[in-house]
Amino acid sequence: MIETLLQLLLNGAASGGVYALVALGYTLVFSVLGVINFAQGALFSVGGYLTFLLMGGKIGVNGALPGWGLPGGLPFWLALLVAAAGSGLVGLLVERVAFAPLRRRNAEPLLALITSLGAGVVVVNLLQLLMGAEGYAFPHGTDALGGLPGALMIAGARIRTIQLLLLLTSAGAVLALSLWLERSKGGRALRAVAEDATTAQLLGINSEAMVRLAFFLSGALAGLGGGLIGVSVSLPGPYFGIGYGLKGLAVLVLGGLGSVPGAIAGGLLMGLAEALVPSAASGWRDALAFAILFAVLLLRPSGLLGRRTVEKV
Amino acid sequence: MIDNGLLVQMLMGALLGLSVYLPLAAGQLSLATPAFYAVGGTLAALLSTRWSALGATANGGFPVPSLLLEMALGGVLAGLLALLVGRLVLRLQGIYLAIATIALVEIVRVAILNLPFTGGAVGIFAIPQPFDTAAGYLLPALALLALAGWLCQRLELMPLGRAMAAIRHDELAASCMGLDTTQVKLTAFVLSAMLAGSTGALAAHFLNTWNARQGSFDTSITTLAFVVLGGSRTWLGPVVGGLLLTALPELLRPVGDVRLVLFGLVILLGPVLAPQGLVTPALLERLGGWSLRSGASRKTENAQP
Repeated sequence: MIETLLQLLLNGAASGGVYALVALGYTLVFSVLGVINFAQGALFSVGGYLTFLLMGGKIGVNGALPGWGLPGGLPFWLALLVAAAGSGLVGLLVERVAFAPLRRRNAEPLLALITSLGAGVVVVNLLQLLMGAEGYAFPHGTDALGGLPGALMIAGARIRTIQLLLLLTSAGAVLALSLWLERSKGGRALRAVAEDATTAQLLGINSEAMVRLAFFLSGALAGLGGGLIGVSVSLPGPYFGIGYGLKGLAVLVLGGLGSVPGAIAGGLLMGLAEALVPSAASGWRDALAFAILFAVLLLRPSGLLGRRTVEKV
Repeated sequence: MIDNGLLVQMLMGALLGLSVYLPLAAGQLSLATPAFYAVGGTLAALLSTRWSALGATANGGFPVPSLLLEMALGGVLAGLLALLVGRLVLRLQGIYLAIATIALVEIVRVAILNLPFTGGAVGIFAIPQPFDTAAGYLLPALALLALAGWLCQRLELMPLGRAMAAIRHDELAASCMGLDTTQVKLTAFVLSAMLAGSTGALAAHFLNTWNARQGSFDTSITTLAFVVLGGSRTWLGPVVGGLLLTALPELLRPVGDVRLVLFGLVILLGPVLAPQGLVTPALLERLGGWSLRSGASRKTENAQP
């Protein structure tokens, strides 16, 4: 009984960690620009597929280049990092195409929502052209985890190693990012731009560069999440990231828009809540995140840890 | 290249575009249209396959009056749901409202997928056909569109439409002027839901099968794109956007797999190239001086050169 509970909680925390990664990605962009990057889910997919290719995976029969794959194959960790960086670069591209032109002409923020959705549609469908719509399992299964055993026994419970790695990696990424934001010069500059772009610019901070940095980091976080989920479950098709993108949105609101600790707490909470849904009602699990989101929006629109903002009066 | 089936789909696209437009005309970005569309469609699919009093025949036929009844019921049910949900979500603003309505769409989708009587992932199939050919659906779709268009046109002259425009312009100022902004927003939201619900009921018969995938986040994106591309300043914008963008993937079929990429590019580049959308009031003025604004407002404009 205790073992099952431990398993459940660890599973919940592991997927919660990934939700937190996605939500943090939204948070970075939202705090700097005040807009939501709806291409986040697509970048999640990109991360998953890049990790797959970098680890030596071959394109399936429905892809553009059947049987083609990158020569060699990187170890899991390296592939994950390179894939995250790659998703970050795609994130930069999304900023160039979907956000920068609108920012230059001070267009309605609503439009950025549409253009980023459009960018997401393009990215996901390009991915589908390249890789085909079929699902992929990772090349060497979980053996690729540097010789670690597939499962560990902790306190009598059988725990999949990948779940533990998932939790540790996302915790590590979240911690590193929070420290960087809090302590480093670059992190301070980013927060200064988030607080007030004009003043930051006057203080000599290149706010455009900071916006680009936020998009890169946000894309990298999504890519990291995609790679982790890909290895731990599989890649069910190029659209798989969209669902995580939507869940991340729910987490974002749960924690409070623009709040970093909120995104982390919200992610964990959401993951745990989903894990505790009894398997008889597993079909409803996907609605839980949104039901919680709905409840939060109605009871406490500023989120669990968000600041209450006062509108102009 | 455009056959009757595609034409019906285009008309339904225009109807869904108008459904997104109505709350937007009151300044509220709601992405809930697919949820109400799904509710209307599911109701029609259930009624026509389960309730023999509607007169479905053994060979899959269906009386037209029953179809109209279903469209009305679909609209009413969606409207009631909107009344219930709207009271809660319309307190939210901007991006929060958008996200709450996405959540509604997902909840409705998962509910339709998991409820014991909606057929699960397969959905409800063999929905009886009131018409022998796709062309038959043209008339009800056109009639509904004409009704919706007439309503939107009338709104520009009615106090409700003016109140919506005032809220869109500046909600705070509008409420300070003594407008019951909640009531106005709620009315727009309910009208939008009714339109989507009726369209869903028609679509269920037209498509012959109905499942949870009909109202998903994807549909939120496409219907929003109708409005953004067509333009949200006049009701003709979403109609044109809906007609064009529904036809586009079909017209792009010759280019094969690239068509969805091109569709994404249109959504991506449209707002950059034409921030106001394709149909703007200025364009309508130029097109033979047909202004959608009322004669009265034009008169006041002339009076103050």
